Amino acid sequence: MVYLRSEDHLRRWLDANGWEPGATLTAPAMNDLARAWWWSRLDPGWRPRPREESQAILDGFGLTGEFWSLA
Amino acid sequence: MDAFDLDVRRHVYLSVVANGRPPTTMETAVAFGRDEEEIADAYLRLHDAHALVLAPESTEIWMANPFCFRPTPHRVSAGGRGWTGTCAWDALGIPAALHGDGRIESACACCGEALELEVVDGELTTGRNLLVHILVPARHWWDDIGFT
Repeated sequence: MVYLRSEDHLRRWLDANGWEPGATLTAPAMNDLARAWWWSRLDPGWRPRPREESQAILDGFGLTGEFWSLA
Repeated sequence: MDAFDLDVRRHVYLSVVANGRPPTTMETAVAFGRDEEEIADAYLRLHDAHALVLAPESTEIWMANPFCFRPTPHRVSAGGRGWTGTCAWDALGIPAALHGDGRIESACACCGEALELEVVDGELTTGRNLLVHILVPARHWWDDIGFT
């Protein structure tokens, strides 16, 4: 999961490595997702998050479909 | 995941926040008054449960996500300390996990040019025009977490 300066840089990076595109988020969208995903990581009562809950976080950001399926 | 493994995992994360690095199996064994082998077994179980990531063929902690303990392009300042983020997602996860502000220094994966992002009060205030690309589909993230 990498940062890129622009769509043009993304295309050049994929082409240079011969990779098919995956999924692209804006940095603000990734920040929002990161907060939801990692917020409780240091909580004293942390428990492993069931896959369904992780999937629900992704769903909540509109990250749905085959690419975002954890199962 | 049983109560002992959860306690070990909690100790690892508390140590990371307190010391900026993960505890060795020996340090954790001393903290728990247990044999080092018992702690190594707990680390391996936590690794298998994706609660920690160990370096290959080792009980050395490589990642306690979102924190990483080997060099990556993603350097994070948050909570009064410098950190390394495993990836673009985890780098933003560090200020989130610490519930504070943070600054990320990274590089464009294409051209290598330095990039900066800053999170203030939960909002991305610098680097808002940048993109994050996820190459690997979600169901395969743990197939090779280092590449993901």
